Amino acid sequence: MLIELKDVNKTYNNGQPLHVLKGINLSIDKGEFVSIMGASGSGKSTLLNILGILDNYDTGEYYIDGRLIKGLSERQAADYRNRLIGFIFQSFNLIGFKTAVENVELPLFYQGVNRAKRHQMAMEYLDRLGLADWAKHYPNEMSGGQKQRVAIARALITGPKILLADEPTGALDSKTSEEVMQLLSTLNREEGVTIIVVTHESGVANCTNKIVHIKDGVIGQIQDNFSHSASAFGTATIMK
Amino acid sequence: MKDLFTEIWESIRRNKLRTCLTGFAVSWGIFMLIVLLGAGNGLMNAFLRGGDGIATNTMKVYPGRTSKPYDGLKEGRRIVLDDKDVELTAGNQFSQYVDDVVATVGTSTQVSYGKQYTSGYIEGNYPSRKDIDRIVILHGRFINDKDIKDSRKVVVLPQNMAENLLGGDGEVATGAQIGALHLGAEGDGKKVDPAALIGKFVKIGGLAWQVVGITKSDMSRNDNLFYAPYPTVKTVYGKGKAIDDLAFTFHGLKTEKDNLAFEKEYRAAVNLHHRAAPDDERSIWISNRFRQNLQMNKGTGILNIALWIIGLFTLLGGIVGVSNIMLITVKERTHEFGIRKAIGASPWDITKLIMSESVCITAVFGYVGMFLGMLACQLLDKTVGQSSVAIMDEQIAMLVNPFVGLDVALEATLVLIIAGTIAGFFPARKASMVRPIEALRAE
Repeated sequence: MLIELKDVNKTYNNGQPLHVLKGINLSIDKGEFVSIMGASGSGKSTLLNILGILDNYDTGEYYIDGRLIKGLSERQAADYRNRLIGFIFQSFNLIGFKTAVENVELPLFYQGVNRAKRHQMAMEYLDRLGLADWAKHYPNEMSGGQKQRVAIARALITGPKILLADEPTGALDSKTSEEVMQLLSTLNREEGVTIIVVTHESGVANCTNKIVHIKDGVIGQIQDNFSHSASAFGTATIMK
Repeated sequence: MKDLFTEIWESIRRNKLRTCLTGFAVSWGIFMLIVLLGAGNGLMNAFLRGGDGIATNTMKVYPGRTSKPYDGLKEGRRIVLDDKDVELTAGNQFSQYVDDVVATVGTSTQVSYGKQYTSGYIEGNYPSRKDIDRIVILHGRFINDKDIKDSRKVVVLPQNMAENLLGGDGEVATGAQIGALHLGAEGDGKKVDPAALIGKFVKIGGLAWQVVGITKSDMSRNDNLFYAPYPTVKTVYGKGKAIDDLAFTFHGLKTEKDNLAFEKEYRAAVNLHHRAAPDDERSIWISNRFRQNLQMNKGTGILNIALWIIGLFTLLGGIVGVSNIMLITVKERTHEFGIRKAIGASPWDITKLIMSESVCITAVFGYVGMFLGMLACQLLDKTVGQSSVAIMDEQIAMLVNPFVGLDVALEATLVLIIAGTIAGFFPARKASMVRPIEALRAE
């Protein structure tokens, strides 16, 4: 198993203790395309943060590829994030004063890859996502879909084991959303990238092969969705 | 390294005005530091120029009056130094330290040349006194060994006496007149060349003395004191054993403590010879130039430290400013740091970014300030440095070489780097502690 969560608990202590994750058990295999679905407040974002080593958990165990992710130093956590995980955010989170290619280069910069090498790699990835012509443009000169594709290039460039997408279509219109989901699906199918998408949109979830329903901090139903027929609003489009 | 500078440049470029305003405070601080130290150096150089060429390892001994009763004698007795003191000083007891002992003896007298005359004080002296007293020869020469050996009747006159003897009103020139002569202005006396007197004979006490040299008038001393060979004066004026004062050079006394111990021992020995209490500090006066020099150095050292402190405190304002904008920068960039951390920046990567930005701002603006400061020092030299004030009729430059050395430039560089590091430290720590989830949520 690539990802294994065993009885993971998380409580926030902001005045009133808030038990957000109440014993999560989840296994995700290599090459899976999974969505985590839940309403706001269900704990899905917290789960994503823990999966992405952005937050720590209180009790339980979390393994990536057999490695226990617990009590890491900041430096080590940063290193794991850099090498094991690629992030795709709802609001793209590109750095505004850097060009597309510079944004894509950034994870390699933190790996200490030299300038020429990482530039070449970044151009390669942009090219694959059809953005080679936009390499020298700044994020605010691009459309939402283009920005998200730059973000995907940035997430892929380190060759991560897991791609974590947090509401990747949240800021996009339905057409672009579909394109982005198509892109993720292709990446999963053709390159075997393990992708976990967190969403509250059933249309987005429907694009994935497995849907994990989370409710009130516990995992409810795990639904196989290879037929892509889970959407309550039809299977053809992502409803906005 | 290049990447780091690119990042810093990008960040600074986005906040040009803010960076410049803060940088100005740093520039100002360093500018003040450099100008203060430069002016301080100029002032000290001007002071110390008076000390050029003085042999520093000399002591002079003058007679005084006893202040304690001793050996059956009352206090208040006048001490007269004599040949015995010279022998004592040059003798075995102090031979470990003392090199060369010279005594002076003299008397008030009148000097005349043709119709001109002037009163003065003839001092019998030795050649080595020239260095000890820093006598500047303008024309001719000073007393030499041959003069001493042959007891020649030769004199070395100060410039003002020579000018008086050559012309003018026949009175001892006052300070103001000599000052005027120095400046070449019209005075009461005619313009005369004192060198004309060399080789001529002047009459002193009814005897003819040949003028062999003209010295620069030194207004810190008696302006009608002139020099003749010691044995000649002693014989001509029948001075017997008594001497005016004595001076000697010494070696091997390196510290203030050594000097004080030597002075104590020496005083005791001389006092005993004159039947004064060994610890009587008023019977004879010892003027130790080495110790005065030490004190002077201590004084200039303190001035230097004071200037550094003032300069550093001025700089402190700039540093606080830099720290302040770095804090604002960090606050503004929280989201960006969150992204960076999410994609793999370690806390140290972030710390490095902020710290080096802070050091860069401080160093660049600091160097601008340093450069302007040195320019200002040049300006000082061209303006104030060219003017001088007349103190006791001696032209004393206000500032001499008001510059700072390479050492100060290096020290200031070090100060800037340290200052930049300190300024960046707290903002950088704050930035490195940004939690990616908080930062990403912040939007």
